[in-house]
Amino acid sequence: MTTKTLVYIESNNHVIERVSKEIISHVKHFFADSTVYGVIAGDEYSIEAVLPELKKLGLENVFVIQNPLLSTYNVCSYSNVIAQLISNISPDVFLMGATSNGRELAPRIASKLDIGLTADCTDLQLDIDEKLLATRPTYGGKMMATIISKTKPNFATVRQGAFKLRQIPMQQTEISYFNANLADVAGMLDKYEILKTEDKEQPEDWTNADVIVAGGLGLKSKENFELIYRLAELLDAKPAASRAAVELGWAPQSIQVGQTGNSVNPKLYIAFGISGALQHMIGITNAQKIIAVNIDKNAPIMNTADIAIPADAVEVINSMLSKLSD
Amino acid sequence: MTFKIAVFIKQVPDTDDIRWTEHNTIQREGLESVINPYDIGAIQLAKNVKFLLNDCEITAVSMGPMQAQESLKEALAMGCDNAFLLCDKKFAGSDTLATAYVLSQFINTHLNDFNLIICGYQAVDGDTAQTPSSLAQKLNIPQITNVTALKDVNNEYSIWFKETNSYNQQIKIQHPALISTTIKNAEILPDINSYIRANSTEVNVLSADAIMADTLKTGFAGSPTQVKKAFRPEIKRNTKLIEEENTDKIVDCILDIIKECKERDDD
Repeated sequence: MTTKTLVYIESNNHVIERVSKEIISHVKHFFADSTVYGVIAGDEYSIEAVLPELKKLGLENVFVIQNPLLSTYNVCSYSNVIAQLISNISPDVFLMGATSNGRELAPRIASKLDIGLTADCTDLQLDIDEKLLATRPTYGGKMMATIISKTKPNFATVRQGAFKLRQIPMQQTEISYFNANLADVAGMLDKYEILKTEDKEQPEDWTNADVIVAGGLGLKSKENFELIYRLAELLDAKPAASRAAVELGWAPQSIQVGQTGNSVNPKLYIAFGISGALQHMIGITNAQKIIAVNIDKNAPIMNTADIAIPADAVEVINSMLSKLSD
Repeated sequence: MTFKIAVFIKQVPDTDDIRWTEHNTIQREGLESVINPYDIGAIQLAKNVKFLLNDCEITAVSMGPMQAQESLKEALAMGCDNAFLLCDKKFAGSDTLATAYVLSQFINTHLNDFNLIICGYQAVDGDTAQTPSSLAQKLNIPQITNVTALKDVNNEYSIWFKETNSYNQQIKIQHPALISTTIKNAEILPDINSYIRANSTEVNVLSADAIMADTLKTGFAGSPTQVKKAFRPEIKRNTKLIEEENTDKIVDCILDIIKECKERDDD
């Protein structure tokens, strides 16, 4: 039996969120025999803007819910129309990115449909009974839990960066317009008015850089942490930091790696003075190769990296800098 | 008319010592517990609303074991006016959907004339952030998540600052509405009157019957999601240890690996 998987395609400012593509790529690769559908909501203008990209996602079919009332994302209106589509097409699995919007939208849809929901998954598998096994970190990344659901569709949100973007075979994508009933939505929107929006400048996506050099507590000071930036520049790599380094104010939160920070997908991840707590390792599971430089031979990372070098991180960085700037 | 706010709080374990029950849920009894840090942010916002309005009452509500009365007492001491504990064996094992149902039944039976519900963004023991949205849907009211501050409030509407990774907004919302806040660990200055009142205020304990809950929709029975397996993840690679005294040689070795990685083309 083939399963029907529906993926919510989130677009902001006419760009499809990377996590939506990551989910499609994972499902296409790992859910054998699943037919994959997409759903997107917006007004005519915002849908038109992403239509060419929508057709290149490798999906069988994209359901478009288009209405002037959906011009701006709103959790009440979007949850209402997406729930209508789900009731109509009855997918077996429904997936969404765990973005800021996704994290409020998904539970509202689940509650409307009275179905279970698993948040922020880092792994998804279909078992032999075509049930979704949704695995997520819990307790601040100290534990992993695999969750199943008794209700259909099995519904989960997926952490950004948890899945790799892979090449997926192109195919003809059919676009179907879904006529949602917007009678309730209009009343909801009257109660909610956005007075002002300031878009934040989006930092370039550094999480897929070929090489990432990251620093942690073992660098001992903010001054030493600055060396990470210089090293990254000389290596044409991107800098990153552990949670401990961020909490001490050595680095901004935007470059934090780990369960509460970013998941990264480099060819090479070099961890300088990072102990490698579980919550950090969750963020680098997709790194192809990990080098750990740490003075403490017993740090957890010395058993979980590909290459472990017991040495003083600051000394090694300084030598690298002088060699590279020669 | 008194402006009525419900603040939902959760008692969470304050320890790394995690024990699991036979149902693969957290064994909560006997654990050192605190109010979920985001829920203290919610109490702070409720107090900010009360500060701007003449006639306002804050009700703290929690679902959990009898032990959660302690957290509610603490909420009273922080300035909440009254407290309810939703406690019933039939609530045990509730996932976020069942929890939202129980909380909505409390609202429907005991606080139907509320103006605002304020919640913490998420509980630090589950990190799902699902209950506030799920509850707003059950009550069919508008919601704002990721709220960082209150701008203005009157009886009919309020204006809030919302902040996500990609945008900042100011949003005006008509009451009744639900707000969930990302303020974590607000510092609430103790005031002696609240403290004294907390000592003489009883926490009202309500069972499933008292909130007219259909127990097929609560607890394990009413929870569609189940933990199939809880585990410490195996993060293991075949580690190669390079023990080298000479820093220069270490550097050469690292630079070689970098070169090799950069040259390799892959998928």
